[in-house]
Amino acid sequence: MPQLNPEFFVSQLFWLAVFFTFLFVFLWRVSLPRIATVLEKRQNKIDENLSSAKELQEQAMEIEKKINDQINKAKLETDEKIKETINALQEDVSSQLSSLDKDLEKKVSDAEKEILKSKDDQMENINNEIANITKLTVGKITDIELSDNEINKVIEKHKGSFN
Amino acid sequence: MAAKDSPLKQFEIDPISNIELGGYNISFTNSSFAMLITVLVITFFLTLTVNTRSIIPSRMQLISELMYNFIAQLLSDTVGENGKRYFPFVFSLFMFVLIGNMVGMIPYQFTFTSHIIVTFALAAVVFIGVTILGFINHGIKFFTFFYIPGVPFYMHPLLIPIEVISYLSRPISLSVRLFANMLAGHTLLKVFAGFVVSMPFFTGVFPLAFIVALTGLEILIAFLQAYVFAILTCLYINDAYHLH
Repeated sequence: MPQLNPEFFVSQLFWLAVFFTFLFVFLWRVSLPRIATVLEKRQNKIDENLSSAKELQEQAMEIEKKINDQINKAKLETDEKIKETINALQEDVSSQLSSLDKDLEKKVSDAEKEILKSKDDQMENINNEIANITKLTVGKITDIELSDNEINKVIEKHKGSFN
Repeated sequence: MAAKDSPLKQFEIDPISNIELGGYNISFTNSSFAMLITVLVITFFLTLTVNTRSIIPSRMQLISELMYNFIAQLLSDTVGENGKRYFPFVFSLFMFVLIGNMVGMIPYQFTFTSHIIVTFALAAVVFIGVTILGFINHGIKFFTFFYIPGVPFYMHPLLIPIEVISYLSRPISLSVRLFANMLAGHTLLKVFAGFVVSMPFFTGVFPLAFIVALTGLEILIAFLQAYVFAILTCLYINDAYHLH
């Protein structure tokens, strides 16, 4: 077995020591710190991103809360405004209705008064006509000259039976 | 033994250039070349893929990061907070064994982890380091590591030698595990590769198919043995911190 031949033992050990020492020192001083910095950098970046994501999430939640508050506030305000408008409209309508009622009542009463007045006028006219006719008739049939006062007295006396 | 067609011929060391230092033969060999390739692959890969240092990694950068996290996780699972200091060493060890095994899977490439002297040297570094660490952390109290509490007193004369032997055999088991796995796997591949050539026409397809399947298995073992080497190192480091 060539492994047990001591001829090259020293050479093997020498070159092993040289190469392994070089490898160890190189990795220790150059390669491994490089990889370590990369890994550290990445971890820092990840941590940073995670923390900023958390922060942003909190901000988003705050904004959402604000929006909801504003929506609720706006809803309440609109409800109130709607109520106010309805009330104002109702008041307006009722006041207008009442003024219309009043107008109509006044017009009706005015009309009634006029009707009564015209009725009275007509009655007066009728009385006068009756007096005239009576005067003329009596004058034609008889020679009696009746004064207006006498005729009126008689008319007044019988007025109830005409109606 | 090392005949021309021997399946063990692949483990022979050939010097590329002969160097001598202080009377010792430290020739740059095909084994040293494989180590050089391994170290270059690791350093270039881990340096170039992370060159951009981008937060969103490319696929190659992701591989480097996965390896980093794999060993970091392994250490924190077994040793805990104390393990961070040994991360560069365990990571180097894991990568060296892993890529060494993988480089060995390339046909005609030398597998330096199939040499007991190499694996034993690595295991010895771990063993000596962990023992020194144990003495630094616990001083003379480290010897209580061999004393198992809650055992009847008459058992101790038996148990303490067993504990000592098991502790001392750690570097052997650690190194032989890796060495034997690599040796067996590559020998088996070579044996079946020989069958492909020596069997008559057409029937050679069967050992060829077997080699394809076995190569997959060997790649799995290459990873697994590197992982085992790393996790056992972690456990030994843990033992140096936490006695029974």
